[in-house]
Amino acid sequence: MSFAWIVIAWPFLAALVLGLAGGPRAGAIGNAVACAVSFALSLALFAYGGDGLVATDALARLFGTVSGFVGLTASLVNISYVMGDAARMPVRRWRLYHALFQIVLGASLLGLYADNIGLLWAAMEGGTIAMTLGVSLYRSPTGLEAAWKYFILGGVGIGLALFGTMLVYLAAQPALGPGLRAMSFAALAGQAAHMDGALLTLAFLFILFGYGTKAALVPLHGWLPDAYAEGPAPLTTALSGLLINVALLAILRFRHLMQANAAAGGSAMHPGPFLLTLGVASLFLAAFSFSRRRDARRFFGFSSIEQSGLVAFAFGIGGPVALFGGLLHMLLHSLLKPGLFLALIRAAQLRGAAAPGFYAFSHLRGLPHVNKYAGWLLALCIFALAGLPPSGLFASEFIIVSQTIQINPWMSLPLGLGMLLCAVAILRQIGPLLFAPAPRETYRKAGWEAHLVTLHLLLVFALAFLTPPALVRLLGQAAGALQ
Amino acid sequence: MSLTFSLAHLMGGIILLCGFLQLSQRRLAAMITLYQSEALVLSAAALWQGFAQHELALYLTGLITFALKGLLLPWGLREIVQRFGMIRAVETALPMAVSMIFGLALIGIAVLVVLPSTEASLSLTREDLAIALSVVLLGLLLMIVRRNALAQIIGFLSMENGLVLAAIGMPGMPFVAEFSVALLVLLAFLVVGVFLLRIREHFDTLDLSGIEQIERRGR
Repeated sequence: MSFAWIVIAWPFLAALVLGLAGGPRAGAIGNAVACAVSFALSLALFAYGGDGLVATDALARLFGTVSGFVGLTASLVNISYVMGDAARMPVRRWRLYHALFQIVLGASLLGLYADNIGLLWAAMEGGTIAMTLGVSLYRSPTGLEAAWKYFILGGVGIGLALFGTMLVYLAAQPALGPGLRAMSFAALAGQAAHMDGALLTLAFLFILFGYGTKAALVPLHGWLPDAYAEGPAPLTTALSGLLINVALLAILRFRHLMQANAAAGGSAMHPGPFLLTLGVASLFLAAFSFSRRRDARRFFGFSSIEQSGLVAFAFGIGGPVALFGGLLHMLLHSLLKPGLFLALIRAAQLRGAAAPGFYAFSHLRGLPHVNKYAGWLLALCIFALAGLPPSGLFASEFIIVSQTIQINPWMSLPLGLGMLLCAVAILRQIGPLLFAPAPRETYRKAGWEAHLVTLHLLLVFALAFLTPPALVRLLGQAAGALQ
Repeated sequence: MSLTFSLAHLMGGIILLCGFLQLSQRRLAAMITLYQSEALVLSAAALWQGFAQHELALYLTGLITFALKGLLLPWGLREIVQRFGMIRAVETALPMAVSMIFGLALIGIAVLVVLPSTEASLSLTREDLAIALSVVLLGLLLMIVRRNALAQIIGFLSMENGLVLAAIGMPGMPFVAEFSVALLVLLAFLVVGVFLLRIREHFDTLDLSGIEQIERRGR
C-alpha cells in the first residue's frame, strides 16, 4: 500500500470519528487537528509519493498541499465560527457538519491524487453528495432550494462525466485493450496518439460538460452562487473551491489526451474552441451578474465562476506558457479566494453573526469603524481579487493575456473586455466597505484568525512575484507535459 | 454469438421504449411502473452480459440492480406518492406531444452521433452505446419537461439506468459494479432527501415552480 492511500484515507477516518462523537466545540477543535495532520501528510507526500491507482504526479501533489493548507486555515477559522453559531443547530447536525468538512477535503485529495479516471469520478461523486448535505445543513427554505439545485445540476454533471469516462475507456481500447490500464491517466497520455480520435472527441464533450458542471463553467454554473450563499460558511465557501480545482485539473488532463491525439495526426478535434467558448461565456456572465448583488457570498460566488472561466480559457489557448499561466492562476486563486472568504466570515462575525443572511454588503459597510485591521484586510483581499498589481493574480492574468495576444489575437478582445468589466465590478465594492459612514458601533477586536488571512494574502503575493524556482520548474514541467 | 447480440439488443430496445414512454405519462404511478420495468430489464441485461462476458462483476451489478432499483426504489417512490397523496396528474412544462417529438429527435441525435464515431468498436458495443445515450438524453429531457420534483427524480433515475446500460456493454470495463453502487448511493440520497424535505413540510407541494424563493427575494 502506498503512502498516498494514507493521505487520502486519513480525512475519511477523521470524518468517521467526528461524525460519531463530540459536541460542537470539541468537534471544531478535532476538525482543526485532523486538518493539520492532513496538511502535514500532504507535504510528506512530496517525499514518499504513490503508485498504482494513486500514482500522484507533481502537479497533483502541489494542489494536494494547497488543499491541505486551505483545509487547515478554514478549519481554524471554523473554530470561532462554531463557537458563535453553536446554538443554531443541534449537536448531531454539528457532528455531521464536521464529518462533511473532512469528507469534502478527502474527496478533493482523492480526486487530485487519483491516476484512474474511474476513481476520479468516484471522488467527484462523493464530493457532490457531501456538499449537497453541507449546503442544506441549516434546513432553511433557501438552503434547501440551493441544495436541490446543487444536487440536480451536480447529479446530471456527474452522470454526464461517467458517460464521458466510459467513452474514454472505449476510445482507449484500440491502444490499450481491456482492463485497468485503459483507465490510467499516465497510460492514456502515453498512448493518446493511438486512441480512437472521433470517440475521444465525443468523450471530451461529455467530460467537459460533466466536470464543467463541477467547475461552474457557464452554462452549467447555476448552482454555485446559491450554494455559496447557503450553509455554514467555512464549508460551503472556503472549502468548496477545492472541488472546483479537481474538476478543472480533470478537464485539463482529458484535454491533453485530445490535444495529443490531434497533434499526432489522430482524428480528434482540437479541444481549444470548446474551452475558449465556455471560458468567455463564463467571464461575461460573471461580469454582468456582479451588478445588483446584495449578498457578498453570492457576489464572490460569481467571481469564482469568472476565475474558472479564465482558467478554462487559458487551457483553451494551449501551449506550455498559457497552461503555465492557467495553472499558476488556479494555484493563486485557490489561495486567495478562501482567504477572502475567511476575512468575510470574520467581518460578518464582527458585525453580529456569521450565519447565512448576514453577508449583505449593506451589512458590511464602514467595516473599519468596527475594526481597522479586519476592514482593510477584507478590502485588500477584494482588491487582490480584481487582479491589479501588486496582487499575485496580476502575474498569472498577465501571462494568460500575453499568450492570447501571441497565439490567438482575436480572442484577446473578449478576454480583455470581460476581465476589465469584472475588475471594475469587483473594485466598486471596496469604496462603501471602507469609507461609508459608521453606524454606531463599538470597536471590536479582530481576533487571531485575521492573521491567517494575512498569511493567505502574503502567500498569493510571494508565490507570484518571488516565485520559488522549484515551483516554476514544477509548474513548467507539468504545463509542458500536459500541453 | 448471434443470440448474445439479439437478446442484448432486445433488452436495450425495451429499456429505450420504457424511457420513451415515460415522456408520455401524466401520472406518477405510471411513470414509476415504467421505471420499475426499465430497471428489471436492465438487471436482466446485466446478468445476460455477465453470462456472455463471463464476468462476475456484471452478475453482481445485475443482482444489485434487481434488488435495489427493481424493487426497493420503486417501493420507496410509491410510498412517497401514497403518503403524500400525489395521485393527481403531474404538471408538465411542455405539451406531451411536443416533448415526445423532442424525445424522438434526441434518439436520432444519439444514433447519428454514436454510430459514426465508433466505427472501430464491436458492433454490439456501438449499438448498445447508441441506445444507452438515447436513454440518458431522454432522462435529461424528462427532467426538463416536468415541474414535479418526483417526476424529475424519475427522470434522473432513468438517466442513470442509461449509464449502467452503457457500462455493462463496455468490453471488460473495470469498476462496473462499483460505479453502479456509487450511482445508487446518489439516487438513494435523492429519494430519501425528497422524503425528508416533504416530511419537514418546507415544500407545501413538490411542484418546484413554487419554491424559487431566492429568485423572488432578489439576490
